[in-house]
Amino acid sequence: MLDKIILGHNQFFGVNHLDSQTGNVKEAYFNDISRILDIIRFSFQFGVHSMMMSTHERAIALSHTLQNEPVLGHELGIYLLVPYIAKYVKQANEKGLVNIIRDSLVGTSFQSKLGMFWRGGLGYLKKDIRGIITTLVDFEIAPFSKLNLKAIFLHDALTDLILSWEAIDVLQLYYEHIEKKYGVIPAFCTKNLPRLLKELKKIGIQNPLVMASINKIGYQVNPSLEAFEKALNDYDVQLLAMSTLAAGYLKPLEAYDYLYALPNIASVVVGVSRKDHAKETFQIIAQHLNK
Amino acid sequence: MRIGLIGIGKMGLLHGGILNAMNDVEICALVDSSKFLLGFAHNLLKIPIYTDYIQMLEQQKPDAVVIATPVFLHVPMALECARRGIPFFLEKPLSLNSQEATPLIAEVEQKNLVTMVGYMMRYSESFAKAKELLDKGVLGNLITFQSTIYVSQLFKTGKGWRYSKQKSGGGVVIGQATHLIDLLQWFMGPPQMVSAHTKHWYSQEVEDFAHAYFFFQNGVAGWMDSTWSMRHHRLLEITIEINGENGNLIVTNDYVKLYLDTPVQGLNSGWTNFMRPDLYKGVEFDVGGTYYTSQDKAFLEAVQSGQSPDSDVQNAYKVQKIVDAIYDSAGKKGSPVSI
Repeated sequence: MLDKIILGHNQFFGVNHLDSQTGNVKEAYFNDISRILDIIRFSFQFGVHSMMMSTHERAIALSHTLQNEPVLGHELGIYLLVPYIAKYVKQANEKGLVNIIRDSLVGTSFQSKLGMFWRGGLGYLKKDIRGIITTLVDFEIAPFSKLNLKAIFLHDALTDLILSWEAIDVLQLYYEHIEKKYGVIPAFCTKNLPRLLKELKKIGIQNPLVMASINKIGYQVNPSLEAFEKALNDYDVQLLAMSTLAAGYLKPLEAYDYLYALPNIASVVVGVSRKDHAKETFQIIAQHLNK
Repeated sequence: MRIGLIGIGKMGLLHGGILNAMNDVEICALVDSSKFLLGFAHNLLKIPIYTDYIQMLEQQKPDAVVIATPVFLHVPMALECARRGIPFFLEKPLSLNSQEATPLIAEVEQKNLVTMVGYMMRYSESFAKAKELLDKGVLGNLITFQSTIYVSQLFKTGKGWRYSKQKSGGGVVIGQATHLIDLLQWFMGPPQMVSAHTKHWYSQEVEDFAHAYFFFQNGVAGWMDSTWSMRHHRLLEITIEINGENGNLIVTNDYVKLYLDTPVQGLNSGWTNFMRPDLYKGVEFDVGGTYYTSQDKAFLEAVQSGQSPDSDVQNAYKVQKIVDAIYDSAGKKGSPVSI
């Protein structure tokens, strides 16, 4: 059963899509994990029993804390977003793509084959490529696998990179792997909703769970607000709406009047860092859900 | 349009993906030195693969080429494209140093070839807005500036070509600060003199920290500070603050904040802020940031029209000369060097 409101996590980990300085201030505040737990517990009373979590380094620490929490550990649903791209971009700068893959495969069943791969045995690679991809995905999920996972989203940078190269079987591989290995909803985050829905429909993925930015001012919406709204009308999709407040630019009242007039809005993920903001936002959303 | 991609590391995959996602454009060939990456890519993407870029150029005869390889390969590869009259997009920086690039500039000019170098910050809405305001002269005469480019990336010795001087040309100045140097000269015209200092801590062969003080031809003076070892900068962040007769302007990746003493050209006195949501425009396909798509589309349009964008190899050559002067000055303990 998909949660209708999911607590966003960006504000806890210094991510802010409006401006980075605000992100830093909030990150400093939430350095103390008990303050994060405080907001999570506060949100429960408004029917918010789940949270989004990307595989950020600091999220791993939060994951460990949650696993040791007798009540929260079981009751808090986690919607995981893999991988944390900024980490890999930096690693790519620091050591290159090949080393990233090599280091991720150390300690796995592919370790003994690494020498063969680098020497360019295309034949070997062909057999193993699906296994390598799923192993890399599992590597990211591992620190979070003992949490109460509800769905695992593929980060938009990967979803959209794969889409751009028209390697749609990789999306299918991801979908099947998550379903089979973790028994949770496989999902995609994207910045290009119309094109993703078109391709997912072609490969027979019915009514997918997709997370994408959507808000009244079209902030971070591609290719345009009109095209996005049209896609919501034309396709079966369970949209998990993000950036609904345009990274804090919009007030909840006008933001959610707009959002809930759209079709196929299955859920909303929204980050809050203060209790008064949490209360106002969740209550306004709840009013729309109760209609 | 058929495009050959040379280099399928981080940037190659990004540019290749964006271009491949555009209508009527396909990536027709992949070139890399890593057989592993090539094998992976070929299995997934079914595109012809090569380890020899000249063989690719000869066999595939692409309409255009994207070069996203380590810096020491930029000029040799771009020269082969130029000799064959093939328009190319080259990742920044242009070359290891300006001297290396001279034959390339000559060949490009002789063939009147369409080229582009990846100084994509020009396509970021906030920096484009700042340029627009500055071109309008809203600040009056410009007096001084302060600028930084920081990221929290390197806190231990890095592996790979970026940290090897022979392959990269240097450290944070050529590898990162070049984005900022390009913006500064785009905003304020050519610099005339620079006094610079560099320092290494995590890297052995190249610099991790740099500070440069510039005097520009138009009279503006100011400084630039750069490092890839700055905490609390999750993403690469540029900040430029320019002080003029009629006010000041602060521009970052996220916003433009303009302060005017007196109203001018329809802008009020006091603060006018342009935040990201005010400036955002959706693009045809977004991977990794709309400015990459805007930039890559500008390359396609340039190839089709036969007219290079402003950010071509000649512009990148100017940036390269500024980089040379910075390194020259730093090697002389900050002694001022003419550009």
